[in-house]
Amino acid sequence: MVDMIAAWTAVFFTLGIYSILYRENPWYRIAESVYLGVAVGYGVSVDLLYIRNQWSGQWSTSAGMILLFAIVMIVGLMWYGRFTKSTFYLYRWPLAIVVGTGIGLALRTVIDAQFLQQIVAQVKTPFFVAGNMGATINNILIQIMVPSVLLYFWFTGTIRESAPMKIVEKIARYTMMAGFGSAYGYTVLTRYSLFIGRSQFLLGIPPNEPSNQLAFIVIAFVMLASMIGWDFTHKKTPEA
Amino acid sequence: MSIMDKINNLDRRIIYLLAWIFVLYPLIFPLGLPIPISSDARSWYSYVENNVNDGDTVIFSLMYGTSGMPELFPMSVATMKHILQKDVKFVVLGFWTEGPLVFNALLRQVNPADYGKVYGVDWINLGYIPGGETAMGALATSFQNSVAVDFVEGRPLSSFPIMDNIRTATDIDLIISFETGTPGAPEWLRQWNTAYGVNIIVGCIGVSVPGMIPYINSGQISALMPGLTVSAEYELLLQKPGLAVAGVDAVSTSHLLIVLLVVIGNVAFFMTKEEKK
Repeated sequence: MVDMIAAWTAVFFTLGIYSILYRENPWYRIAESVYLGVAVGYGVSVDLLYIRNQWSGQWSTSAGMILLFAIVMIVGLMWYGRFTKSTFYLYRWPLAIVVGTGIGLALRTVIDAQFLQQIVAQVKTPFFVAGNMGATINNILIQIMVPSVLLYFWFTGTIRESAPMKIVEKIARYTMMAGFGSAYGYTVLTRYSLFIGRSQFLLGIPPNEPSNQLAFIVIAFVMLASMIGWDFTHKKTPEA
Repeated sequence: MSIMDKINNLDRRIIYLLAWIFVLYPLIFPLGLPIPISSDARSWYSYVENNVNDGDTVIFSLMYGTSGMPELFPMSVATMKHILQKDVKFVVLGFWTEGPLVFNALLRQVNPADYGKVYGVDWINLGYIPGGETAMGALATSFQNSVAVDFVEGRPLSSFPIMDNIRTATDIDLIISFETGTPGAPEWLRQWNTAYGVNIIVGCIGVSVPGMIPYINSGQISALMPGLTVSAEYELLLQKPGLAVAGVDAVSTSHLLIVLLVVIGNVAFFMTKEEKK
């Protein structure tokens, strides 16, 4: 019984969100509001659970740890200073700590992880791969296209206006357009994958509950009938 | 109004209806289209098969929420099944709030006990760790300081035998990360791969793939599972067909629809442009 209620609820909210495809409507508003409320509530609850576990697991074990925990909690509460003008300045302290530690941690390795290693990989890419024509073409394209795009964003000096640079710019534009096209294709794949996943759920394809199918038919009918029926009856109403 | 004008001003709801039809039809009546195995699926399979050795310790990280499940959940399930066939220890954790929810759903499909794995001895669930990249960095320096208790039983980590030999990033052999965004692969690379040399393989949603390719080419990421279609290929390689295989027909038909709409839309646009001239 509980499983069935859960399945019908999930189907209701899935179709409630999809009902926006027809038009803005109360089903969508209900689903959207409940989703936001649940998501925020869940996020807060797991964060609080982590804090509670940290307290009981290690921070409550000695006076020194309790003092440190209290300081951390006070700094954490200072986030809420941003909600009023008179306490806004308090909010800057936790923000500074978070931004500072975040940037410090990232900078420690970002030059190597996302800059040097990429340059090394680019330099090491061989133009020719014996016995593999596809890889050879791929590598040649990489060796032409990557420097072209890098040069495209070189904005200073008169060389920008030279004839060879016009060719480089053209290659760079085509490269970037190919990249954007690839990103678009993958985005379509992702969006459709989400839709396919929910469709499998609605159709009760295993391991989803087979009873979802009935819920899908009934709830879809009720939602569509209510929206189309409303539109139909209100079209006949004379405009004021 | 000509037919081309009508196409140009097509009610978007007709496109949505077509999308529903093109997705639902192959799910209800499977077409059985062939699924060729790509190099991505082969390299993922062979990495897990050949590079994950007995005695290794693996982090199994679910860095996505319920909205990422349709694309990432099938590959998570398949990889977990693959890992469970090996004599490895694994730590489940996530830096996304909904990670534990996703893992609970995964446990309903794959029970480690069925593979002889004992909780606390062979695997442990540390749940959600807040703090993003900073928390990742902290975890690398000390598991015990970053996570006070486990997620399942709420007991201190010191009470689990598996944690006797897992203290810092140097005790981990591989990170398997399934992710939809930030924190994700770049953060793992900065805090674990570059800093400690821990190998990483990444399963990601299609949107993230173009951003991942440079890391694959540079060898920083050892294998990449890009999206639902490659998940289906991996399921076939594992001989454990699941939701990804069931959905791959719908991927093909839905992409066919997009291509058709792009072609028809362009033809209509340029023909009406000529007429207006």
